[in-house]
Amino acid sequence: MNTLIWLPAEKIPVLIAFLCVAAALLGVFLLKRKGKSFKIRALPGASAIEEAIGRATEMGKPVFFTSGTGEIDRMATLAALSVLGEVAYKTAQYGTPLFYPNNDPVVATVAQEVVSEAASKAGHPEAYKPENVFFVTKSQFGYTAHASGLMERLKPAATLYFGTFEGESLILAETGFAQGAIQIAATDSTIQLAFFLVACDYTLIGEELFAAGGSLSGDQEVLGSIVAQDWLKAAVILLLLVGAILATFTTFNLASRL
Amino acid sequence: MRLPRRAFAFLAVFAAVTFPLLHPLNISDRVSPEAVKFKALIDSIPAGSVVMVSFDHEASTVAEVRPLATVLARHLFSRDVKIIGLSLFAEGTAIGNQVLSLVAEEYGKKYGQDWVFLGFRPQFQAAILGMGESITNVFPRDYYGKTTSELPLLKEVFNYSQIALVVSVADGDLGYAWVDYAYTRYHARVSAMLTAVMVASYMPLYASGQLSGLVNGLKGAADYERLLDKPGAAIRSMDAQSMAHAVILLLILGGNAAYWWGRKK
Amino acid sequence: MTRRLVFWITLSFGVFMLFQFFIPVVGGAYRKVLDWMQVIYLSSLLVGVIALGLQHLRKVSTLSSGWGYSLVTVAGLVAMPVAAFWGTGESSVFFWLFNNMQVPMQSTVFSLLAFFVASAAFRGFRARSLPAFLLLVSAAIVMLGRVPIGTKLYFDFPAWSQALLDIPSVAARRGILIGIGLGSVATSLRVILGIERGFFGRKV
Repeated sequence: MNTLIWLPAEKIPVLIAFLCVAAALLGVFLLKRKGKSFKIRALPGASAIEEAIGRATEMGKPVFFTSGTGEIDRMATLAALSVLGEVAYKTAQYGTPLFYPNNDPVVATVAQEVVSEAASKAGHPEAYKPENVFFVTKSQFGYTAHASGLMERLKPAATLYFGTFEGESLILAETGFAQGAIQIAATDSTIQLAFFLVACDYTLIGEELFAAGGSLSGDQEVLGSIVAQDWLKAAVILLLLVGAILATFTTFNLASRL
Repeated sequence: MRLPRRAFAFLAVFAAVTFPLLHPLNISDRVSPEAVKFKALIDSIPAGSVVMVSFDHEASTVAEVRPLATVLARHLFSRDVKIIGLSLFAEGTAIGNQVLSLVAEEYGKKYGQDWVFLGFRPQFQAAILGMGESITNVFPRDYYGKTTSELPLLKEVFNYSQIALVVSVADGDLGYAWVDYAYTRYHARVSAMLTAVMVASYMPLYASGQLSGLVNGLKGAADYERLLDKPGAAIRSMDAQSMAHAVILLLILGGNAAYWWGRKK
Repeated sequence: MTRRLVFWITLSFGVFMLFQFFIPVVGGAYRKVLDWMQVIYLSSLLVGVIALGLQHLRKVSTLSSGWGYSLVTVAGLVAMPVAAFWGTGESSVFFWLFNNMQVPMQSTVFSLLAFFVASAAFRGFRARSLPAFLLLVSAAIVMLGRVPIGTKLYFDFPAWSQALLDIPSVAARRGILIGIGLGSVATSLRVILGIERGFFGRKV
């Protein structure tokens, strides 16, 4: 049988990379089953979430959450929803209002479910207010206008920007800054990191966003998979170094001079 | 009432942008290598080929993306390259159709034969992946409600295999989606015309060759206009951008001077 | 029960999409999934818009705080689809509303970015330390290199700016992107295997 029909040749490297990730994940789960517990370094931005919610509670002001303009298929949005679950649990416990205007109807539906379930788990189902977690518009700057306006009116004590952001990042973060809120941001949008670093108190960079949910919940399975990610990263760095050395040797024909 | 300090910064930027728009300064500029490479890429496409132009932007960035899309459409039509337009953002639809119809009229191009506008489809991944299988399946009707399979241009073009180049005119990361799905899965040749704020995040794709061409915001559009010798809206707007950059730099210098002065005191 | 159902649906669709990527022999089923993705998305959009409309109508009818904004929202929500009934061509009312209201309003919000960049730059680019100073110098070079006035000041600013974008910026971005890539693959596997359950409720 011709392999190419069943598995196109150009996809073999992707398959190998995928199998490596799967193997690393399997490895950590086997270790966990043997009783190993996993720890990751503290993420200051993630730890500051509780402090920010506490501050909002003391001041009697709401917490503002946004996942930007990402759709549900973005891993950053799913990671943001994991963080949202933790935030909603804490705000429900403390009785602090949580506002989450949304840019995508699917994300809004899932977010309502997440917040409602977290409120129930916290023993305060009444803390979930559907009118506070809602879809606004798909339009990027229509959403930005609404979210900024809402911030101006609510004057939140804590603003959390978790997810995929584009041009709206600085407008939102500067509006939050003007309200004097504690601002925490986490995004996989590399270009927006520069804006968040300037305007926010804490910024989680790139993959730290994916680790934030696990770091907050302390879920061993999630933490284990983050450890597996680190193993893979070490392997990638090693491959890059080997590749760079080989490329240098080839480019300058160093092998013949040895 | 005392104005907050940042209100002065806002007023300075406002003045810097509006003054050159009212009184053009006509500062000459050097063309960027990206624009030269992009023009060469379009020049390498034989007449009669088909280029897909996706208007992946919203109404908000129209001032920056319209000059980009207009200069591209002019270049393509001037070389008798056919265009399939579409939008993966609802708001880009009307703007995209307007740009293509105006430029098509300018060059005497016929709808359905030399160009078509497919309109908007939500769920960009499904749309991009779907067009890799069949364009008419994803867009059974065009923007004007005509059956796409009956349009002469789409009788020759079924999927990316018959498309010489995909150009995403984007103000966000939809260009990434074209690389992720159309380039990686269907080997379509993809390039992007971007708002300046997004360019830095696309540079790794451009450097690795996954994006075969890139035009950088208003400056890129102005360079392209210069290369085609068709001065337009982009060249006119570059003075305003120059002044805004200068004012922001002055504000940074002012901020630093105040900071050091404060420390000394 | 619901949690279990969600898990099995996620697992089956996740495994199916993975399978069809590597072994593209199930094209028909794959195309059906793509069609259904659009159907689901549009249905949820409809639900979202109806919920938004109802929420604002409630605010208007009870005259609760901010009802004026809600009235504008409801008016916009009704006006655009109604106008679209009479066509969306370039001479239509819909296009007039789009061109003369939506485009300027959205462009205005976007243009706020220029003002916020100015205030953020004024605050953020302070030469407090050597790295902060280097950041400031790089920003100045890139900004000058991208506009004609920079070329007038010094002819080689564009080349310097390009070098900064092509070398250190791309290198740093690639490093972050590799981390994000690994994080995305690991997160998607966690979602498919039901380890990451945060998106459908907090685990206790």
